[in-house]
Amino acid sequence: MFSNLINSLVVISIVFIFLFSLLLVFKWLLFSSQWGVVTQNLPLYAFGVFPVDQRWRPCLWLLILAFLSIVTIFKPRWSWFGKVLPIAWVGVIPLGVGLLSGGLGLLPVESRHWGGFTLTILLMSCSALLAFPLGIMFAIGRQSKLPLIKYFSALYIDALRAVPLISILFFGQLLIPLFLPLGVEINRVSRAVISFTLFVAAYIAEDIRGGWQAIPNSQLEASKALGLSQAQTIRFIILPQALTIALPALTNQAIGLLQNTSLMSILGLVELLGISRSILANPVFIGRYIEVYVWLAGIYWVICTVMALLLRQLEEKVSIQRRIRKNV
Amino acid sequence: MSHIIRANNLVKSFTKGLRALDDISMVVNKQEVLVVMGPSGSGKSTLIRTFNGLETFDSGKLEVVGVPLYSNHDERNIRAIRRKVGMVFQQFNLFPHLSILENIILAPMKVQKLTRIEAEEHAMHLLSQMGITKQARKYPSQLSGGEQQRVAIARALALKPELLLFDEPTSALDPERVNEVLDAMRTLAQKGMTMVVVTHEVGFAREVADRVLFMDSGKLIEMTTPDIFFSNAKHERSRKFLNQIEK
Amino acid sequence: MKMRKGLWIQVLVLALVFSLILVLVNNISTNLIRSGLGFDFGWLNRTAGFALAEHVLPYSSSDNYAWALLIGWLNSLKVIFASLIMATLIGFFVGILSAGRNTLLRFLASLYVTFIRQIPLLLQLLFWYFVGFLSIQGNLIGPFKGILNISNQGIVILGINLSAEFSALLIGLSVYSGAYISEIVRGGIQSVSRGQWEAFRSLGLAENIGLIKVIMPQALPAILPGLTSQYLNLAKNSTLAIAVGYSDIYAISDTIITQTGRAIEGFILLLISFFFLNIIISNCMELLNNRLLSYQKH
Repeated sequence: MFSNLINSLVVISIVFIFLFSLLLVFKWLLFSSQWGVVTQNLPLYAFGVFPVDQRWRPCLWLLILAFLSIVTIFKPRWSWFGKVLPIAWVGVIPLGVGLLSGGLGLLPVESRHWGGFTLTILLMSCSALLAFPLGIMFAIGRQSKLPLIKYFSALYIDALRAVPLISILFFGQLLIPLFLPLGVEINRVSRAVISFTLFVAAYIAEDIRGGWQAIPNSQLEASKALGLSQAQTIRFIILPQALTIALPALTNQAIGLLQNTSLMSILGLVELLGISRSILANPVFIGRYIEVYVWLAGIYWVICTVMALLLRQLEEKVSIQRRIRKNV
Repeated sequence: MSHIIRANNLVKSFTKGLRALDDISMVVNKQEVLVVMGPSGSGKSTLIRTFNGLETFDSGKLEVVGVPLYSNHDERNIRAIRRKVGMVFQQFNLFPHLSILENIILAPMKVQKLTRIEAEEHAMHLLSQMGITKQARKYPSQLSGGEQQRVAIARALALKPELLLFDEPTSALDPERVNEVLDAMRTLAQKGMTMVVVTHEVGFAREVADRVLFMDSGKLIEMTTPDIFFSNAKHERSRKFLNQIEK
Repeated sequence: MKMRKGLWIQVLVLALVFSLILVLVNNISTNLIRSGLGFDFGWLNRTAGFALAEHVLPYSSSDNYAWALLIGWLNSLKVIFASLIMATLIGFFVGILSAGRNTLLRFLASLYVTFIRQIPLLLQLLFWYFVGFLSIQGNLIGPFKGILNISNQGIVILGINLSAEFSALLIGLSVYSGAYISEIVRGGIQSVSRGQWEAFRSLGLAENIGLIKVIMPQALPAILPGLTSQYLNLAKNSTLAIAVGYSDIYAISDTIITQTGRAIEGFILLLISFFFLNIIISNCMELLNNRLLSYQKH
């Protein structure tokens, strides 16, 4: 009886706190919020300080991405579509880089003018695209029979996983120029992409290793008994299964990567969070923290949800065809 | 040369001095069906798995499909053997991420470098032999155990092997599914396929086997025709084993 | 032939990796020589010259860089340790709620978890700092004056003074990690078989007692490994302190490297300090794990 009383008290107080905060939020929404800081700066949030007459380029890219996302999530019944879609998703990333940087008849735009939501998506997609094969390489390296390759891969994975991301990004900005030959320079965005790639690859490698270890030994025996070589076994038997098992973990990595691009706002890039901080520094909008943060939280929330939906499509597609755990 | 497997004094020890294989010498001839029997832990699985290099051994000499194998486990020779020796496992071990057809054509395409068309044609032929053509585009998890095991046999046959190894092929099946697999094996035997089969199926052994090999505690106890083995076994241990499985 | 081919591929890969490393090392040494920096740790002994708002041990701007780094490390330890305790409390509380039978509480718990996980930690920290603390006017809680004081200067609780930076970081990290920990706790509780619940209920034990005495001891072995990795994440995430101006090890390294240009040495020192942090956390958890296991065996 006594514990029931405590239980009820806990329930009542939690619900009370929840309703009270809800009330505060509504009161703020109705009476004190001023959304000028958001509505007047929409182009800045979207494209940063990209030259005004060239804004159609990031705009076009974002529209293509949105189109791809919609058709992926809602799966139209065009039969040719399933084959084109993966290629389109991989191809759209270099297309974005091309559209932003210009060249080939387009006016070149320096990377320091890139910004806002476009830069956030660009950082995320480029890093993911590069980190994925690198992560697979390190995962294979870690399982290698050659001790040198094995320990080098293990050292890399463990070291990168031991340090905070912000330090990798910071030292990436400082050290990557030092590692390059004299006269070769790369911009801050590329340095950020390289740092993210190196960091995320270690996590991807570890996730794939988890999937790898879940594959029963009997699969390897069956492959060996068929006369497949070590490399063929990895390529055709292990990797497809390991990746399928690791897919939920890899989804979390991708969403984590998107959120982590916000760290570049500390290191001088004006991606979504960075541009918002500059807007907040403008005396006109001083003190409008809540509106901006709520707006940003909404954007990140929507993008994370969309990414989760996209990757869930992939998971479903893979698991319908290949029920891996069921029968081994 | 009429033999396909020749083993001389094979020895494999586990730690603690236990022997999985204790001085095994034997020969399997071409077109012969050899059934290996013995209580669990007798080393019969270990023996059959040494024939295609899935298990190593400590001393002795082995020759399979004309390729010699010594205890140093030469990777090149092992792969040469595996290209000519098919294996069917107790748990089927189909690749769950590949369709039935892909399971079968993988090795012919990657090991024998056949084109996809050649490999698929042969695979469909094998599937029709096994009576499961309709399942070609399905995935392993959509098939019953008996169907999966017949796919596994087709997969092992795809490399046109000179020898097929069966490691308890019916032990993981529901009782009513056992016969469809045994029938497929019977047909293969009639066509002259050389087979080494680890099994507890006495009926199959009586009817199909040319010889029966009985093992206990890593030792080859006797190797004789099924008639003699089942009605008039020489050794005490064989008789004891037969009594137990007939109960 | 096959074996040979495999060997050659491996040799080739190794040669490529090593020549890449060689080129990088060569580049960096020419760059360092050119900039006249070289590679040494002598600068650690020079005067830091910057002030720190928060220090556990005595510190002034005339102390040297090495001492400043140690102060930063202790500051990190302080905020990590405090957040770790709070995050654990939040995580277990929410985790138990979300594994419980009350639908409303389960819904609220999952709302909290999805909400927190979909928003970048950095944004959350900025929110707690700029909105949660800096925009407070006067004292937030009137009636408790003297016991609990929350203002834009931070929190004063029973005479203990916590700066606004520390408090924002503490709350932000705890609320964020708490969401992840609650998922692990929920998973652990749900891994205990239903029969155990039915068993203690049929014995007439109250829900709370049964949870503490029967379910939790069995869930803990499943919870601890996940908990360890969350603690390690929390330690790494604490470096976002720089965004709210708290002087942790990373923020101080950042300042020192900007002042001295010693990026490589600074990176190595940061690596070492995180190495120690990780060792401390993993060893404590290992100890806890062993204690738990030996306790359960008796």
